[in-house]
Amino acid sequence: MTIETLAAFGANTTEGLHRCMDNESFYLRMVRMLSGDSNFQKLYDAIDVGDLTAAFEAAHALKGSSGNLALPPIYAPVCEITELLRARTEMDYGPLIERIRKGHEALKEICSE
Amino acid sequence: MPVSQVRFRPAEKKRRILIVEDELINREILKTILQDDYELVLAGTGTEAQNAIHEQFDTLSLILLDLNLPDIHGLDLLRETKSDIRYAHIPVVVLTADSDAEVDCLSLGAIDFIPKPYPRPEVVLARVLRTIELSEDRDILRWTERDQLTGLYNKEFFYHYAAQLDAHQKDCLTDAILIDVNSFHMLNERYGKSFGDEILRSIGKKTLEIVETTGGVACRSESDTFLVYCPHRTDYDSVLKQLSAFVNETVLGRGENIVRLRMGVYAGVNREIDIERRFDRAKIAANTVKGNFSRPIGFYDESMHEAELLEAQLIESFPRAIRERQFEVYYQPKFDVRAENPVLSSAEALIRWRHPTLGLVSPAKFIPLFEKNGLIYRLDSYVWSEAAAQIRCWKDQLGICLPVSVNVSRVDLFEPKLIDLLLEITGKNGLSHEELLLEITESAYTEDSEQIVEKVRRLRGLGFRIEMDDFGSGYSSLNMLSTLPIDALKLDMQFIRNAFREKKDTRLLEAMIQLARSFELPTIAEGVETAEQVSTLKTMGCDIIQGYYFSRPLPAAEFEEFLMKNKPRSVE
Repeated sequence: MTIETLAAFGANTTEGLHRCMDNESFYLRMVRMLSGDSNFQKLYDAIDVGDLTAAFEAAHALKGSSGNLALPPIYAPVCEITELLRARTEMDYGPLIERIRKGHEALKEICSE
Repeated sequence: MPVSQVRFRPAEKKRRILIVEDELINREILKTILQDDYELVLAGTGTEAQNAIHEQFDTLSLILLDLNLPDIHGLDLLRETKSDIRYAHIPVVVLTADSDAEVDCLSLGAIDFIPKPYPRPEVVLARVLRTIELSEDRDILRWTERDQLTGLYNKEFFYHYAAQLDAHQKDCLTDAILIDVNSFHMLNERYGKSFGDEILRSIGKKTLEIVETTGGVACRSESDTFLVYCPHRTDYDSVLKQLSAFVNETVLGRGENIVRLRMGVYAGVNREIDIERRFDRAKIAANTVKGNFSRPIGFYDESMHEAELLEAQLIESFPRAIRERQFEVYYQPKFDVRAENPVLSSAEALIRWRHPTLGLVSPAKFIPLFEKNGLIYRLDSYVWSEAAAQIRCWKDQLGICLPVSVNVSRVDLFEPKLIDLLLEITGKNGLSHEELLLEITESAYTEDSEQIVEKVRRLRGLGFRIEMDDFGSGYSSLNMLSTLPIDALKLDMQFIRNAFREKKDTRLLEAMIQLARSFELPTIAEGVETAEQVSTLKTMGCDIIQGYYFSRPLPAAEFEEFLMKNKPRSVE
């Protein structure tokens, strides 16, 4: 993974890098860490079983990390779902989960390069 | 924060920050931003944070707190921290993406927020530094504005807040109050310093309670002196009773009453005078009831103000008075009454001040004042020189040798150059030392007696004769008579007057004269006004008499005439 491939994925690498004190290797290490974050799976599982509280906690955690790393393809849908889950909104979360999963899969692929 | 917990941090040491954040990525990013400037303590759970706070509370400069923790909610941790007196001083900045939580956090004591995603690192660093600096400034302010022992304001801050009170309550009548403890140093000495401290703490506590109820500010200005500036009230009797009862009950238990407080009240202060001067007036009022247990509250009034103005005027005009010889020395004769016919044996030099605008000022007005501020030494030196020159003059011009006694104040006895000066004065006028008699008041011997006695002994060793003045007015032990370096006892004028009052009772007077005789000390009675008094004193064995019966104090010129009529021994 490089800064360029991450930027091509949709990351705001300038912002993310600066937040990591412009330390490129640290930034990339954090991004890799996020790609393997267990909160993704927790979110998917909680939504599957309708546990909105657990889903909220997982989404909330992902929101903070993806926001700080400036990864809009993940951060944007995670923000959306977090607010809905905070209000414990009963709805079909499928489309949102799909967007998150798509971003997550794409990130994992970049990270494995 | 209690003053004792103000932290000391060596300048070279980094400040320590606790980061409470369960998300590893967020924690790592914060760590990267802050690690160059701060020493970091990391906690991933609420429990870890609790432990870190418990172990390092006195070295933590800041807590950065995430709200969503896996075990304890951040708000609960915040509440817990702020409600514990040991930890409450540590500033907490909340890390949150949830703006709805901000009100709750602020009401629980959070000082600021850092949003998520985090702002640029420069912003995070600046916000962290500013928060720590503000918090440290607040700690320093609290530490310096409060008296450590009582928790009341220090004097300087007190005056500042009192001025603010004036500014906010422009039309409100205000009182300046001074409270202190009668003989506090004795309580400290008898029962120990911790007992004294407990008294002061309890006064502080109750005073604070009173001003919190009725408005106003209070401070401990020094040692056992407390100042209160508050809206005018009239129930100071009840306030002082409450305060005394509380203090005695706190330090001694119910029913005991050994701590006696006194109060000076300057009611309805004049705001045109300095705030410090207002409390000077409260102090003047308090001094009027010093040691008076039946009337423990003094109120400042116009007569005190006038006395204060007079004192200021006297002090201001003193140097000029010396320069222009406004002080006049009067002489009152002393007669030896042992033989059938009284014989003029000496005179006492008495000071009078002919002030250019105030007229003749009574020594009772300026001597205690000059004793208080130390000017007495200059004044007494002046009298000693004048008296010595006068003795010389009578010797030269009239051929009469009459010793003159001069007053030596207790304050003079502490002057290192006193003996040199007296030797210089007698030497300059060619007098023998026994011609200048020294009257030293009895009370001088009771304070720092060892040093005083030693100084007097040296004077006596040089040939000066010492008369103990005002004997019977002070508290000196009769036992001291056998050891003190004195040549005569001069009985207190008031003592003699009391003995000859309506119900004449001279038994004590007679006993004292006899006692002096048994120590082979001649007695001098002053203030003697009638033939009957002279006769009684003579019968009792009194040796020398001074008073209006023989003559009032006279200016030098008039005394010369008196001298010619009552010629004592001539210069051989």
